[in-house]
Amino acid sequence: MISAPTIEYLEIAPLLLVFGAAIIGVLVEAFAPRHLRSAFHIPLTLLAIAGAFVLTVLLAVDKTRTVAVMGALAIDGTTLFLWGTILVLAFISVLLMNDEGQFVAQAAAVPGSAEEQEAVLEGQAQTEVYPLALFAIGGMLIFPASNDLLMLFVALEVMSLPLYLLCGLARRRRLLSQEAAVKYFLLGAFSSGFLLYGIAMLYGYAGSLDLAKISAALGTVSGMDPLLVLGTALLGVGMLFKIGAAPFQAWKPDVYQGAPTPVTALMASGTLVAAFGALLRVFWVALGNLDWDWSPILWGVAILTMVIGVILAITQTDIKRMLAYSSIAHAGFLLTAFVATGGPEQNRVALSSILFYLAAYGVTTVGAFAVVTMVRDTGGEAGHLSRWAGLGKRSPILAGVFAFFLLAFAGIPLTSGFLGKYAVFQAAVAGGATPLVIVGVVTSAIAAFFYARVIVLMFFSEPAADGPVIAAPTVGTALVVALAATVTVVLGVLPQPMLDLAGAAARSLFVY
Amino acid sequence: MNLDAVPSYLTPTGQEIVFLLLGAVAVGSALLVVTTRQLVHAALWLVVTFGALAGCYLVLTAEFVAWVQVLIYVGAVVVLLLFGIMLTRAPIGRSPDLDSGNRVLAAVVALATAVLLVTVVIDGFRTAYAPLTEVDGAAKTIGSSIFRTWVLPFEALSVLLLAALIGAIVLSRTDIRGRD
Repeated sequence: MISAPTIEYLEIAPLLLVFGAAIIGVLVEAFAPRHLRSAFHIPLTLLAIAGAFVLTVLLAVDKTRTVAVMGALAIDGTTLFLWGTILVLAFISVLLMNDEGQFVAQAAAVPGSAEEQEAVLEGQAQTEVYPLALFAIGGMLIFPASNDLLMLFVALEVMSLPLYLLCGLARRRRLLSQEAAVKYFLLGAFSSGFLLYGIAMLYGYAGSLDLAKISAALGTVSGMDPLLVLGTALLGVGMLFKIGAAPFQAWKPDVYQGAPTPVTALMASGTLVAAFGALLRVFWVALGNLDWDWSPILWGVAILTMVIGVILAITQTDIKRMLAYSSIAHAGFLLTAFVATGGPEQNRVALSSILFYLAAYGVTTVGAFAVVTMVRDTGGEAGHLSRWAGLGKRSPILAGVFAFFLLAFAGIPLTSGFLGKYAVFQAAVAGGATPLVIVGVVTSAIAAFFYARVIVLMFFSEPAADGPVIAAPTVGTALVVALAATVTVVLGVLPQPMLDLAGAAARSLFVY
Repeated sequence: MNLDAVPSYLTPTGQEIVFLLLGAVAVGSALLVVTTRQLVHAALWLVVTFGALAGCYLVLTAEFVAWVQVLIYVGAVVVLLLFGIMLTRAPIGRSPDLDSGNRVLAAVVALATAVLLVTVVIDGFRTAYAPLTEVDGAAKTIGSSIFRTWVLPFEALSVLLLAALIGAIVLSRTDIRGRD
């Protein structure tokens, strides 16, 4: 007889709700008539995410701190904070999806074919995007909570595979979108290979996949250092790819540009949060005692990421590509606090600053992409920066909100971005990474240049005669922009509750 | 690894004899796969290779791996190959143009790989002797490990497969219309 595993259903209830809703979504696809599907999917998806958020809050109120499901998941303050963040970001990204004209009418139809036109005329829609998004969100929830490397790998795939698909489903510029999907898929598969190889090496070294046992093996196993170092390096490559750190950042601009903008918003916020959480857990829990070895390399990665991110962002002429490079730079800023490990107190400060940064940056990012969806040409979104000239004269409110988001990215005081940057840089200085912070401040100044350039373009240039129109926002999009702007202001002016929350989440560091 | 109790190689047990025979069959049929002049025969010799390998696993008490080998390699992979042959040129009988110009290079790569693997195994284990008493490869051990320790990754994988399935349908099928 095999004795039944212990499964803490209560603690993993948010996961079960999201995956359950995804499976119900699949059944809706199978049985609901075509014209009713969206009407089922939107409330189902939003309710599931909101429900999961409520469950996460209840768990946090309960101060849950446990290793669940046979050691596969670690549910602690950090996990719950990241779950809450991911669920909020997922909720507002799904609100953006609720927009005709973002997703392709029929993905299998060849771009430009008669079949495609027929599908458009019939008003078909690929409503599978909702269950696929839920699968991806479920993966994002497991990823930062994974307490063993096998779970980590499976979660990575559950998160990534639906995203590869969603990238290729843009309604306009379909070839670009499909190219983005193929690139993302191939590079993602390649990086998964690195990750798996690293996991195999670490298993060979420690004889276990469990993060705590790997950590324990660091002190007892000797004479197998090549395995350990190689395994750590390969694992690092696989995970740094997902956060888009240099030199593994090449996919980000192409994919962000080609993907439908709501999916880009989900990737730029949710995936970054999830991947950073997982990176933290693996490197701090399993390989924390090895930080003398990986820290110098990650210093280099952080510097390279910040520098490449801002310098290449200056040369961009497409708004989504520019935001992609900005996202790369922000991954670099986050890494400055990531490498600033030390004693428990220092780790707590660094962790809470990273958590705050992730939440603040994620919400602003979704807001910025929401604005991008509203500025439209005849061929879809007006991607080229020159088309944004004079937007401030045409639609002062929208341009003002977008300028505000850009200022938050740049880290201007009174925005959430400033406090986020201040927190991670402060943690980095306390952890002895002052040179990194100097690079960070210099690159921030360079970054401010290209954000300001867009603002100048919007407010001080004459609008083109045939300039883009501002699409009347759907309720969802308007809500997202309003919410993101509010959060960016509130976190900038009254950050204390959120800082306390992040501090409380980081208080006892990780459970394992 | 128990170095003291290495029994003499001159008095092999029945298991060892069977293992060696199966190994010889695997190597021999693998050679026939690449030397035969008939494409279909190559696929069928591949069945023998995979089958002999499955037999090796069985002798080593890895019964689960053995049946997976039969199901996936003998069952799925070879059938896929045969379908491939059938749906393309369907050459029955000898084909004179089976050898490509790269055969020497391919042989060198294959030999190098074999030398590398054999050296690693010999270097790693030498005369180490592990009696086959444990049942790590038994279906029961693997089953209890999957459904106890690894239950969540296992379930998450099923979700992954479902997502992949939906994705494949979305990207490839135009003929599923569903109810209007």
